[in-house]
Amino acid sequence: MLSHLIKLMWNKRRANGLIFLEIILAFIVLFGVYAFAFYNYDRYSSPLGFSYENSIGLRLDIDDDMDSLAVLGLQERIVREVRTVPGVEAVSFLGPVNPFGGNNWGTGNDDNGFQLFTRMLFADEHFAETMELKFREGRWFEKRDDNAKYPPIVVNGKFMDEYYPNAETLLDSIIILSGDRQVIGVVEDFKYASNFAENEPLTFYPQSGFYSGDRPPFEQMIIRTAPGQTAAVEEPIYNLVTALTKNTDVVIWNMAEDRIKANRPVVIPLVILLIISTFLLINIALGLFGVLFTQINRRRAEIGLRKAMGATPGEVTAQFVGEILIITVAGLLLGTFFAVQVPLLELLPIPPKFFYFGIVAAIATILLIVTVCALLPSRQAARLHPALVLHEE
Amino acid sequence: MIELNNISKSYRTDTIETLALQHMNLSVPAGEFLSIMGPSGCGKSTLLNIMGLIDEPSEGTVVLAGREVTDYNGSKVARFRNEQLGFIFQSFHLINDLSVVDNVELPLLYRKLGGKERRRLALEALARVGLSNRATHFPNQLSGGQKQRVAIARAIVGKPNIILADEPTGNLDSHMGGEIMDILTRLNKDLGTTIVMVTHDERMAKRTHRLVRLSDGERVS
Ligand SMILES: Nc1ncnc2c1ncn2[C@@H]1O[C@H](COP(=O)(O)OP(=O)(O)OP(=O)(O)O)[C@@H](O)[C@H]1O
Ligand SMILES: [Mg+2]
Repeated sequence: MLSHLIKLMWNKRRANGLIFLEIILAFIVLFGVYAFAFYNYDRYSSPLGFSYENSIGLRLDIDDDMDSLAVLGLQERIVREVRTVPGVEAVSFLGPVNPFGGNNWGTGNDDNGFQLFTRMLFADEHFAETMELKFREGRWFEKRDDNAKYPPIVVNGKFMDEYYPNAETLLDSIIILSGDRQVIGVVEDFKYASNFAENEPLTFYPQSGFYSGDRPPFEQMIIRTAPGQTAAVEEPIYNLVTALTKNTDVVIWNMAEDRIKANRPVVIPLVILLIISTFLLINIALGLFGVLFTQINRRRAEIGLRKAMGATPGEVTAQFVGEILIITVAGLLLGTFFAVQVPLLELLPIPPKFFYFGIVAAIATILLIVTVCALLPSRQAARLHPALVLHEE
Repeated sequence: MIELNNISKSYRTDTIETLALQHMNLSVPAGEFLSIMGPSGCGKSTLLNIMGLIDEPSEGTVVLAGREVTDYNGSKVARFRNEQLGFIFQSFHLINDLSVVDNVELPLLYRKLGGKERRRLALEALARVGLSNRATHFPNQLSGGQKQRVAIARAIVGKPNIILADEPTGNLDSHMGGEIMDILTRLNKDLGTTIVMVTHDERMAKRTHRLVRLSDGERVS
């Protein structure tokens, strides 16, 4: 039966050309959308590694003429006093890179005997508590580290997994990152750009490893509040900080809102793509439906004939579903041939597995839609009375 | 073999009701070669369709091979049509997108047969109607008479016990028509195939065992 249908479809190839083309195009579009969606879902599902839900960010301006001792004193005072605002639970200063802020800093070298690249984030000793970081091993910076032999760093889990996959521990290891630095802690996860950011190796530096020479002191803060208190603390904190810095140049933002903004560059195209492809699928389904109804209508005599020759209703249904599936499979094969070129030739900087997922998912979706759309007209065909339709000719 | 008991058939359209058959009784014993004659529109094709279980009578019962037929659209009746019945339609009904030999294979598709065996039987049937050299042609490359012969090959390929032929010689010259009659007669004699044939040609009717005449949906002889 299958060879009969393949032959029949081959003989009708001109009539079926458009469906074939439509299947290929739909497949290519779906393949792309699925690969993109899977890739981003994969990124989204890797944890941020810090709390942002009840936190606000703050940017202030420290007088450039102050000496470093005075700056440190001012920062300490700000932390202490903001901490006393009702609703505030933890307060921390950080450098120019802030979570969801859209900026980043990185460094790389091959001084350790291999190519190393890491994002950098600069934060004070309160940062781990404020962000509620979880540690794989070791601890966060403390005041006493300023006098340590080697400047301390904390890295994230990805850093360890990427560059020291076989190491039992990284604690006390000396890593060359513009000078020897000693690892004092490894946090489980930390990616800060957005939920859709890649989970990259990251190194934390204390203020002492940053604020020097022509680099400014830390001028950003993260303040974690009790649940639901973020809005309430904004005004008292603003008043307090402007008074302490004697400068009204203070900006406060909500980190939860910032996260949503940071996700937008992926979420918006993703939603648009999903909407477009949903419409595309509906369109294809309706088109197929119409085409199959007219095709089957034009072949009423043939259906009558086949039934008169002994085709059961089930065999008539199977024939029409089978026919369209043959065209579909042919289209999918050709489409897959094109699609696998993307991972094989490494046309895009995305891991190949997402493209293979995309191919499988697009094939499954199209087969499902085609089968569902073919079933109704085919079953209608199977119910035709042979004498009646044969008489029509 | 075939027994029609008090069969009536009416076609209802929006405006009129046509009585195609009225209280028809007919019994065809196994192995008989029966011809049916009558003016156009008297219900010959309708009668054949009812005998072949592709149309349902409005009244009366059909008994085929000793069993009364009750279901006309199930898979049991489909099996029966496939194994026991061979149809030759008045207007051929070939599938234009299939080659001649594929058309002939059609009834065998609904049996459990390998592709090679199907092909062999189809070519054999084509040889019997003298069309071996047209096996790979398509129906629209054939003359009316050739199409008729393809339709006959298709009807006999499954070696059915009953052949229902609706004017199988209607589109052929007398020479060709005679040859078709030879084929049918041989089938009837050699294999004992029961044949019911509608014809307009007295000479063809004379070559059969028995003639039944219809007029206005009624049997007149
Ligand atoms: N499907 C149908 N719907 C409505 N009327 C029909 C249908 N089939 C047959 N008829 C009517 O039933 C009557 C008998 O038709 P039938 O085809 O059996 O005639 P026939 O004897 O085979 O004629 P012919 O020699 O021209 O083939 C005709 O009046 C025809 O119009
Ligand atoms: Mg007729």
